[in-house]
Amino acid sequence: MAECIVVTSGKGGVGKTTTSANLAAGIALSGKTVAVVDADIGLRNLDVVLGLENRIVYDLVQVVEGECRLKQALIRDKRVEGLFLLPAAQTRDKQSVSPDDMRRLVKDLKEMHDYVIIDCPAGIEQGFKNSVAGADRAIVVTTPEVSAIRDADRIIGLVEAHELPEPQLIINRYQTAMVERGDMMNREDILEILAIPLIGIVPDHSDIIVSTNRGQPVVFDEKSPVGQAYRRITDRVMGLEVEIPEFDTNQSVWSMFKRWMGLQPAREVV
Amino acid sequence: MRALFTKLQMALGSAPQSSKDEAKQRLKLLLIHDQINLTPAQLERMKGEILEVITQYCEVEDAEQVEFKLNRMESSVVLHSLIPVRRVTARA
Repeated sequence: MAECIVVTSGKGGVGKTTTSANLAAGIALSGKTVAVVDADIGLRNLDVVLGLENRIVYDLVQVVEGECRLKQALIRDKRVEGLFLLPAAQTRDKQSVSPDDMRRLVKDLKEMHDYVIIDCPAGIEQGFKNSVAGADRAIVVTTPEVSAIRDADRIIGLVEAHELPEPQLIINRYQTAMVERGDMMNREDILEILAIPLIGIVPDHSDIIVSTNRGQPVVFDEKSPVGQAYRRITDRVMGLEVEIPEFDTNQSVWSMFKRWMGLQPAREVV
Repeated sequence: MRALFTKLQMALGSAPQSSKDEAKQRLKLLLIHDQINLTPAQLERMKGEILEVITQYCEVEDAEQVEFKLNRMESSVVLHSLIPVRRVTARA
C-alpha cells in the first residue's frame, strides 16, 4: 500500500524543501519509487534543490486543470531509479488548487508509486490545507529556535485537527557545540515542549549549502554527515528501526569531567 | 575556556542563566499564551476577580505574595495559584 507523507513546519526557512528533496531521494536510493510534489504554488523551489529546474514542461496546476496528463508533468530523475518530481506552478497562486484537487492527485500518484512526499508551503492557510488534504501522515520540521518551535507547536495542533495521526519530528540545523555551551536547546528540551516522537536530527553543516548550490541532494553523498543523517531518517520513515545515536560512547570519568569543564566538547552523532 | 568560566560561575550561582534556558522559558510562556488566547489585561482582570472572591471568605496575608502561574501540562494549560491566607473570615 502506497503512503503519502506531508513535510510541514508552519515557519518558513527551517528546511522543509531540503527535507522533502532528501527524503524522496533517500527513498528512491532504497529501491522504492517515490513522487515528490512541490505544493508551494507561486514560489516553487523544490525543482532547484533537486537540480531539475531545466526539465520542467508542465506543472501541478496544469495537471489539476486538465491541460496535461499527470505522467507528462512528472519529471523523472536520471540520477536514481524511481524518483519523480511534480513541480509547482510559478505564475499562479495557492487558490488555483483545492483540497479536493489534491486528494484526487495524491490518489492517482499513490497508484503509480510506493511513496508520495508533499513539500508543504510555509503558513497555515490554503497551501497548508491543500498539502495535508491527501496525506496519510505528517513530518514536522523545526530548528532549535523559539520562533520555529512555537510555529511547530501550532502546526502539530492543526495536523491533528485535520485528523492525521500524531506527526513525527525532525530537528534541523542542530549545532552540537552550541548545545554543549548551553546556547542552543537540546533534543530533550525540544521534545519536552513539542511532545511528539522524534524521527531524526540533522546537524547544521556547510554540505547542505554546497549540495543546494549544485542541485545535488546531500543524501547522495555517503561521506557527508548530513547525507548520513538523511539516510537514517529515510530508513526510519520507511519503518526500519534505526537508532538515533546519543553522544559519543566515551563515558570514562575523566572524559566526563573534561567535558563538564568544557575542555573537551562531546561529539554528537545524529 | 569561556565555557569553563561559565560553568564555574554557574556552580557558584553567580552566572547569568544560559541562553538556551532563557529560550525555553520564553517559549513555554509563549505557548501558554498562544493556547489560552487571553490578553494580558484580561489576565490581570481575572486575577483581580479571583482575589476578590477569595477575600470574601479569607483574609489574604499579603497581596504582594499572591502568585498566579499558568503552566502547560500535557496538552492543556493549568492555572496554579498560591494565595497565603491568614484566617477564615467567612460570613456565612
